Amino acid sequence: MILVENISKIHRRNDGAPVHALRNVSISISAGEFVTIRGASGSGKSSLLNILGCLDRPTGGSYRLAGEDVSSYSDRSLARIRNQKIGFVFQAFQLLPRTTAVENVEIPMVYSGGRVDRRRALRALERVGLGARARHFAAELSGGEQQRVAIARALINDPALVLADEPTGNLDFAASSEIMRIFKELHADGRTIVMVTHDESVAAHARRQILLSDGAVIADAAICAEERRR
Amino acid sequence: MKSIEQCKQGLRAIVRFRRRSVFMMAGIAIGVATLSVLNSIGENTRRDTVKRVKNMLGTFDTVMVRPGGKTRGMVSLSNVDPSLKFEDAAAIAREIAGVKQVARLQNAFDIDVTYRDQQISPAVFGVSENWLALRGDEVEQGSFVSAEDDRRMMRVAVIGSDVRKSLFEQESPIGKTIRIGGVPFEVKGVLASRGAGPAGASLDNIVIIPVTTASRRLFNRDFLTMIIVQVKDPGDSTRVAAAISRLLRERHQLAPGALDDFNITDPQAVLAQLTKVNSTLAMILRGVAFLGMFGGGVVIMALMTLGVSERRREIGLRQSVGANRGDILFQFLFEAFVVASFGGFFGAAVSWGGVEAVAAYQKLPAVFDRQALLASIALAAIVGVVFGSYPAWKASRVDPVAALRS
Repeated sequence: MILVENISKIHRRNDGAPVHALRNVSISISAGEFVTIRGASGSGKSSLLNILGCLDRPTGGSYRLAGEDVSSYSDRSLARIRNQKIGFVFQAFQLLPRTTAVENVEIPMVYSGGRVDRRRALRALERVGLGARARHFAAELSGGEQQRVAIARALINDPALVLADEPTGNLDFAASSEIMRIFKELHADGRTIVMVTHDESVAAHARRQILLSDGAVIADAAICAEERRR
Repeated sequence: MKSIEQCKQGLRAIVRFRRRSVFMMAGIAIGVATLSVLNSIGENTRRDTVKRVKNMLGTFDTVMVRPGGKTRGMVSLSNVDPSLKFEDAAAIAREIAGVKQVARLQNAFDIDVTYRDQQISPAVFGVSENWLALRGDEVEQGSFVSAEDDRRMMRVAVIGSDVRKSLFEQESPIGKTIRIGGVPFEVKGVLASRGAGPAGASLDNIVIIPVTTASRRLFNRDFLTMIIVQVKDPGDSTRVAAAISRLLRERHQLAPGALDDFNITDPQAVLAQLTKVNSTLAMILRGVAFLGMFGGGVVIMALMTLGVSERRREIGLRQSVGANRGDILFQFLFEAFVVASFGGFFGAAVSWGGVEAVAAYQKLPAVFDRQALLASIALAAIVGVVFGSYPAWKASRVDPVAALRS
């Protein structure tokens, strides 16, 4: 599914000094895996996730997504990939606040080239248990509900890959558990999930953990079933 | 299909940010209203000026011949060359084809006119009897100077309504004796009021006497200050003017290359000049109106640019779910287009009332050009797109990574 080879990302600070966000990172993720990426802040997790999500381009190295070498893709082609193959879930939900839940869920369909299908958006909301709240403004929903709307939005175009950046970072324990339950369902459906997290208890849901430090992979390990049970 | 869905997103955004949208519409509406109202003022003023000039020139079928080279301002016996003779007027009437009639004029401004203890200095005009018809004047009381008066050098006068007011107040002036430059004249008529000329001065402060009387018994000058030639066909005036010029050069024995010692005003040329003066005024008004539109455009640009910085997260989110830079550009341009078009529409509606009010103030009929109105709405839309293109471009350059982190 994902094959990243030797990618690096160099930002330039305002004074022109280079900052190495990623150094020679190579990762291979198969279809259907549930992987978490952990690391201290500034370790390069978000940079890696943005590149995996085709929101950002690596400074060097190659990235193959589902067999396509997207490292050299144009803005237009990357936008199409994001629309069709990737669903994003953000820590801050990123919903339009003065817009209803169902209209938020519809936004990816706007850029798919077809007609916006209201019924499909309503079904997606029902799947995350929010069918009754579809006409509420996003700002009127609780944090957990907003994140479920965001998940429905991420899934509306049926992407194979779901990328989540600290999806439970702004939520309380109960809401976090609900969100993680949904992610496990998505995984059970066969979707590939890559999740950035600080939280070890969240990371424990995954089958594989990648640990980043200072822009480099320092550990990449499958977690055995026994450990996960603990 | 994608663009239709994007337009819907744009319309929702306009509603979502309704307060900002209303301000942008107001900016454009003010611009459009300014444009329409100033346009109407310009058009009304043009019509009014043409009316005033007609007031002065009478109909546009008279060619005026004055002595001297390029004389400026109002001619008078004291400031002209003695080059234009009574015989020149007779020659024009006799020799040039297409001439209906020729009026002679000898005038002065610095002559005292008295009645009992009242003294004023009106314009004193010695004229031939056909002056009345050429000017389109009307005699309100009594009668005008006649050919007979002129031939016999009668000391009779016809006075303007201002002169009547100054000298006679309530008294009837007919048959009364006034003194012009000390010479007694009998008042035989009063002219109807003409009102103001193009410069705004009254045309009624005037005393008219027979031109021969003026020449022989009052001014003692044998030259004219003006010859007014009425042509049979107003479209023919330019040819007649040229023919008069040739005739006078011949009569005055001017060598080829020598400057004219007279000057001729062709009404067609006056009209052309007027249109030019007016087009300068119209251009200034149009310039102000375009400044108004420009202001509206700047309002759109400023508010949209602020809007783009407020909507960075929305832009980043749209990009993350599949919008490319072109899509973002399109949506923001569309928003600017819709807001500006609505603004233009409201501006047109407001200006409808504005034009009526201005017309009422100018005491002229409202000039309302439907085509100009549609053009100003279209212009509003164009202004929206042009001034919206900068913020839209800025929106399309938003970095999604940075926007979603904020």
